[in-house]
Amino acid sequence: MSFALLSVFLIPTISVPFVYLTGKKSPKAAAIFVALIAIVNLALIATTIPTILSSGRYVETYEWISVLNASFTLFVDGISASIAIISLVLIIAAAIFSINYMEHKKNLPAYYALLCMLSVGLVGVFLTSNLLLFYFCWELMLVPAYFIVGNWGYRDAYKAAFKLFIFTHAGAVFVLLGIGALYMVTGYTDMFQVQAALATHGGDIAKWVIVALTAGFAVKMAVVPVHMWLPDAHSEAPATMSALLSGVIISAGAYAILRLSLGIVFPSVGAAFGADFLHGMAIFGLISAFFGSLIALVENDIKRLIAYSSIAHMGYVMFGLSLFPVSVAAGSAVILISATAITGTVLHIVSHGVSKGLLFLSAGAVMHQTETRDIREMGGLAGKMPFTAVAATAAALSIAGAPPFACFISEFLIFVGAFQVISYDSFYLIPTAFMLIATVLSLAYSLRFTSKVFLGQPKQNDGEQKKIFDIPNYMKVSLAILVVMVILVGVYPTFFLQLIETVKFGLAG
Amino acid sequence: MIEIIDIILPILSLVISALLTIPVFRLIRKSSHKLALTVGWFMAVYAVAGTAVANLALKYYGLESYSVLNFTLNGGALAGLSSSFMIDVISIYMSIIVIALSAIILIYTVFAINSNERPSERYFAIMLMLTAALLGAVLSGDLLTLFIFWEAAAAGAGFLMLYKKNALTINSTLKYLVMIIIASAFVVFGLSIVYGITGSLNFTDVQQALVTLADKRLLVIAFIFIATGYAIESAIVPFHFWLPDAYTAAPSTSAAFLSALVDQGSYYILIRVLVFIITPAGLNWIFMLAVMAALTMIVGNLFALIQTNVKRLIANICVADVGYNLVAITSYTSLGLVGNLYFFLIGGITTALAFMAVGVMNSHGYKTLEDFSGIGRKMPLVSLALVMAGLSFAGVPPLGGFMAKYLVFTSAIEANMSWLAVIGVLTSVLQTAYLFRLVNYMYARKPKDETVINESKRILIPIFILAAAILILGLFPQIVFNLLQPGGNLQLIPPI
Repeated sequence: MSFALLSVFLIPTISVPFVYLTGKKSPKAAAIFVALIAIVNLALIATTIPTILSSGRYVETYEWISVLNASFTLFVDGISASIAIISLVLIIAAAIFSINYMEHKKNLPAYYALLCMLSVGLVGVFLTSNLLLFYFCWELMLVPAYFIVGNWGYRDAYKAAFKLFIFTHAGAVFVLLGIGALYMVTGYTDMFQVQAALATHGGDIAKWVIVALTAGFAVKMAVVPVHMWLPDAHSEAPATMSALLSGVIISAGAYAILRLSLGIVFPSVGAAFGADFLHGMAIFGLISAFFGSLIALVENDIKRLIAYSSIAHMGYVMFGLSLFPVSVAAGSAVILISATAITGTVLHIVSHGVSKGLLFLSAGAVMHQTETRDIREMGGLAGKMPFTAVAATAAALSIAGAPPFACFISEFLIFVGAFQVISYDSFYLIPTAFMLIATVLSLAYSLRFTSKVFLGQPKQNDGEQKKIFDIPNYMKVSLAILVVMVILVGVYPTFFLQLIETVKFGLAG
Repeated sequence: MIEIIDIILPILSLVISALLTIPVFRLIRKSSHKLALTVGWFMAVYAVAGTAVANLALKYYGLESYSVLNFTLNGGALAGLSSSFMIDVISIYMSIIVIALSAIILIYTVFAINSNERPSERYFAIMLMLTAALLGAVLSGDLLTLFIFWEAAAAGAGFLMLYKKNALTINSTLKYLVMIIIASAFVVFGLSIVYGITGSLNFTDVQQALVTLADKRLLVIAFIFIATGYAIESAIVPFHFWLPDAYTAAPSTSAAFLSALVDQGSYYILIRVLVFIITPAGLNWIFMLAVMAALTMIVGNLFALIQTNVKRLIANICVADVGYNLVAITSYTSLGLVGNLYFFLIGGITTALAFMAVGVMNSHGYKTLEDFSGIGRKMPLVSLALVMAGLSFAGVPPLGGFMAKYLVFTSAIEANMSWLAVIGVLTSVLQTAYLFRLVNYMYARKPKDETVINESKRILIPIFILAAAILILGLFPQIVFNLLQPGGNLQLIPPI
């Protein structure tokens, strides 16, 4: 199908007003509308998979701004397809979850229209190779997110939304500077053309650009020390939005670092600077992983706990990215260090996306039913809400990295990659050791979460307890989709691994 | 073939319709369909003027090469001083956006002010006159003609601020006029020196003469006078103090007109004089201007940050916008110039849109940030337009402001002035911060009162035309670039 990717853009864009109008009649229909659009898009992306598997990349090009040498280039390869698929799955789950979760809120037509708009930017980010279009989508994720968090969030929601917007927008303008500089140096706005041109041009500017880009993306990833927006935004947002934010939006930062900073600019920065840069990333990743895990261990607010675990997991991803394959001199030959870690990192983006989405949605379900968010006031909910308990436990175990759930296999691959890299670059010895300790911490807070919320003795008095019952059906459907995904990715990661491994990094072209 | 009449026709038609407006209004007031007739009259006026501009543009784009065409009214001994017109891609482009924006703002004015009131016909006539003067300015071919038309526009703009006479408007108008008179005195003095050293005021002749000029001491003096004069008129820091006062005191219809047309006209003159006449080869002004650009961006945005009156906040954004325009002029690249001209259009539309939306809110008595609390729920459609303008100011894609800023910053990087681009980007973040504070007030706060407001549907038409324009031009900037570079990659910067 030759217009597959263009349709992925156009269908949700055109549908936004219709979703709004449908929502005026029946919010439920609007939710299903959004989910259906996502399913159609999922199918459209699926049609490109054979091409990806056979030739590595599927591209569509349309004319756009010829003065800037920018065309509307849509492309998908193994990595972008995997993450786009997971984004769409989360949007489906979020839309269905919203039917019950948002039931008594105001302005629902606007909510679903914004969700639909968000899906354009969110999926679009992964599907373009044009830097300008990439930036368009990058910011298009932000505006609907701002309004959803602000309007339908908890407590001081607009303040959290403001933080979300300002932080990520400040990061984004540095990305813009980087993109502008790349265009100026090479005269191209297409990633792959830029990569080729930059390799011949080289020079110091590549160093500045890689720092500006990575700093900008790191804000989105909420790597310590630019993580301050995340705990507020994720905990005040409605659960559906938290799931999307934590599941895929912050991972878009990781994707962008991999695709732009490392994929495009990195080959031109030179070996010495490159090695320092990667080491720096590893250290930031390590700090994030520890910081996030330690705070998650003591946090009592159910959503903030999960939010901090997201910081921790972005730390793993950052660490994984720092294991980017570089060419090293081994004796007289030049060899490329294994790409296992990067494969693992991309898989971790995927598996963390589903697991964290599931965890946030089940936390939202718990909050929805118990009307509290302090885990000290919960307990023994497994008996009252068995379905939610099973879903949340699966998610928590996955976050902890326990087999057979999704995150186990990806973390395992990252560590395998790390050990392979250590034999060439002894710097990684200590960070890897510390990262292993961090996984123990993540197991600790996951278990603490599960036991405090679902196990033990009920804390509420009898009157309150009688009101608690398991979640309504649409929520169950939504959680079930994600539980299936978490287990599926865990026991059969081959589908995603096959896709991811079609992408070759560290080599020109 | 373009005749001189093709150039004069749009200007003349607007002047005549401006003069006719007063008797026509007298007739309209006697009839029973006042609003319909008023709208009909102005549509007719703009149909004529628009056709004249379209005729000029089509003839120009129909030419085989898009060169600079000079027309002199009368030659002879004093040919260097006689009025002349010049058209190139830029003046054609400017005349198109002047006429289009003026039409939309005028329609808004018809809906926004009560046209049965006595001085309204004068107000409309002045608007038409100003449009004519601006068209004359962008089409003029020598420094004197440019000066005459531009001063007519700038001084005439003072009368737009005086629609409602009270202490505040008289005060700020006076301030404005004094500034403009000082500025024009500076410019005239500078121009006389230029004429003295080059023997001509024609753009091309002066440019050539200055490049080969050996002794540049007089030129430096002339440049200081001219640059100061035009810096005052386009409100470059440190000469910007009149602008926020004037725009805040003026009715929002005037503020929209001034910001979208007169302001952008003053940037056009900066471009024309700095890039095409006193080129860096004639006198190297680049670093000085870069410093001013940085100052203007910083000061404009910092002042906007501390405002509590929303209209004043937008007026301060106008100051900051001057800074972003200067960045592009400073870069002295073709890309920067394209970005600049695109910025004119988008900046004009965005500020006009913001003033229009704020004007509607002001008319219900909401003025300060506190008043704006919860206004997003009370007036959802106008608020949506204001949010779109805010997002465009902040440079959020896919709105036009993003592409404008992208072009400007990129051109600064191209000209090896990354520091300027970095300052621009940082101030742009500041801009986002205070604009989102506004959005925060509009949507997050509880409204102060529970009055239900019926939004007037009519007035939304011009507002949403502009809102749609920001979105469409942001998504497809190629529409504008095609006007600027009709034959593909045309070199806009004159070869030195």
